[in-house]
Amino acid sequence: MKKHVALGVSSLAALALMATGCAGSSSSSTSTEAAADTASASAPASAAPECAGTIAVMAPLTGGAASIGQEQLNFAKLAVDDFNMANGSMYKIFESDTQLDAGQASTQATAIASDNTIIGVVGPAGSQEVSAVGPTFKDAGIGYVSASATNPDLTNGSNPGFFRVVPTDAVQGPTDADYIATTMGAKNVVVIEEKTDYGKGIAMSVSDALTAAGVKVTSIPVAESKKSYDDVIAKVADDTDVVFVTFQVAAKSQQVAQGLVKAGKKAVVFGSDGSFSADFKTPGAYVSAFAPDINGIPAAATVAKAFTDKYGKFGTFGPPVYVATQAVMQAAQRACTTAGASADRAGVLKELPNTNIAGSILGGDIKFDAKGDVDGAKFYIFKIDDAGTAVTVQ
Amino acid sequence: MQYFLTQLVNGVIFGGVYALIALGYTLIYGVLQFLNLAHGEVYMMGAFFGFFTMTTLGGPSMSVLPVPLMILLMFVVAMGGSALLGIGIERFAYRPLRRSSRLAPLISALGVSLFLQSAALLLFSSRVRLYDSNLFLSVKSGITVFGVHIDTAEIMVVVGAVLLMVILWFLVNRTNLGRAMRAVAVDQDAAVMNGIDVDRTVVWTFGIASALAGAAGVMSGLLMYPVDQYIGVFAGLKGFTAAVLGGIGSIPGAMLGGFLLGITEAMVTAYLNPTYSDFLAFFILVIVLLVRPRGLLGRPALVKV
Repeated sequence: MKKHVALGVSSLAALALMATGCAGSSSSSTSTEAAADTASASAPASAAPECAGTIAVMAPLTGGAASIGQEQLNFAKLAVDDFNMANGSMYKIFESDTQLDAGQASTQATAIASDNTIIGVVGPAGSQEVSAVGPTFKDAGIGYVSASATNPDLTNGSNPGFFRVVPTDAVQGPTDADYIATTMGAKNVVVIEEKTDYGKGIAMSVSDALTAAGVKVTSIPVAESKKSYDDVIAKVADDTDVVFVTFQVAAKSQQVAQGLVKAGKKAVVFGSDGSFSADFKTPGAYVSAFAPDINGIPAAATVAKAFTDKYGKFGTFGPPVYVATQAVMQAAQRACTTAGASADRAGVLKELPNTNIAGSILGGDIKFDAKGDVDGAKFYIFKIDDAGTAVTVQ
Repeated sequence: MQYFLTQLVNGVIFGGVYALIALGYTLIYGVLQFLNLAHGEVYMMGAFFGFFTMTTLGGPSMSVLPVPLMILLMFVVAMGGSALLGIGIERFAYRPLRRSSRLAPLISALGVSLFLQSAALLLFSSRVRLYDSNLFLSVKSGITVFGVHIDTAEIMVVVGAVLLMVILWFLVNRTNLGRAMRAVAVDQDAAVMNGIDVDRTVVWTFGIASALAGAAGVMSGLLMYPVDQYIGVFAGLKGFTAAVLGGIGSIPGAMLGGFLLGITEAMVTAYLNPTYSDFLAFFILVIVLLVRPRGLLGRPALVKV
């Protein structure tokens, strides 16, 4: 009897260790699979100096936003494969799971900073994460390019070495507000502000722009930990035209949209870019995104097909990561001086401001301004059709 | 007035889910004087079991069975699966520690909680699931009372929660198993001497408590709450709070605590600030315990002298 108990407890403990180990490996320092992919894709040396180095990709690989994070990681892998093939380089990826959590991102940043083989970073994905990693990356002298952090304050000088290939909420807010006020003709808008750096930033940007346009705005703040929204939906007045949601997890936006239908409210849901996901699929709803649907861009056709063939469908969070990864690798390439050398962090950081990706897959050239923001970027607006697919309307 | 009634209904619905989770906590504590900190994760697994039963049957939009039968099967599988999970947890993680210090099983429970979260992540991936119950339970269906519309899923949650409480009360107070549970709760050694199989009684206790958590998981899914590996953390905390508020060890207390907690949250959202709902709910718990440490319906603890 006791033997059976001991065996059972030992088995349970062993399973626990295995499970923890397996769950932890997604955020571990191994990049075996990625290195194997990139090594197998490398071409014979070209005339350009052969460069090598490790690029960390910080993304929510697990957690509520994992579908976005996995897409971002896969586009980064594709970018590395394509760049290595075209340039004879040997860059590889270090996967860093942040779960879209500032605390987790900070822990990962410490690990990245202490690994001298990492010459640059793609990410983090969320604005609150960028704020959390800023001091560590500043001390480490490492350059990092985000493909989805949109809070305008991130490039006010408090995060040296930070760049982004997407526009800020200072662009998203007025773009969305203009569409809501002008095209949709809304007079009464409720803004559900999720209490995160991202939510606060976009809520403020949209609210200010709507108020300036003469629209009545009511704000309802909610905690990030909230799971049910029926009580919040009951606060939405019957004459509300639009409910603007600022969630980073699209399933929450879908919950609110369905809740409004259930409550018989006429308000239409408009999600900020955090809602852009297959999980937000209520017909008639709107969502904005910082990148276009690249399936309609000729310059992106090859990349789109390659990604679809290898990884399946994608949304709008992945393609900017491809561009961000290109920016880091191009900076590393310029910093390389001899064949087989690895551009160091200082070299990459020095070259990042000189980024110039002509005809990027996002439909334009990518250059950074003095603050680290991308020149001339804009937001796109999509409407969800009866099939639950987001279709570009602006 | 209609706004107040709408929020009251919302609170009762939230409270139904909390009450079912609280019942599990209170049942186990009442029999074993042990806090099963992994109970929230059993609720989480129940929600997943219900989700995958639905998708296996072709749901949410193309079920091969009539909708009522599909929902019934979701509950059966979730409750059965959760019960087996609870029994397994008791057998391997708690029973060997029953005679050890009070701290050892608590630490074991924390470990089980983390283990189940990791297991769910590995088995089901990190993607957030939604039951999309609006596709098989029309939000337009239901009843309207004093101008407040209550849809079918919401009715199911409240009626189901009350029904399960009544069944549980009947089981504990009117059956031999219930008599055995109460005997074990008073004095395990005396129960053994009276011919009661303590191990078997504990197994039944965990099975029933976990089945209730599984039912709560399916109900929350039908209410369109998201399902992922972390939902058990806060739900478990709320359920525990409800159990303590009502009087840990008291079945009517657990129900009362659950509904009170849900209504408090809804009213705070309605008339104050939604971000304060959790803060005030736990604050009220502290106040109640300071004034009445055994909870609203708890009985004074009997200590053998």
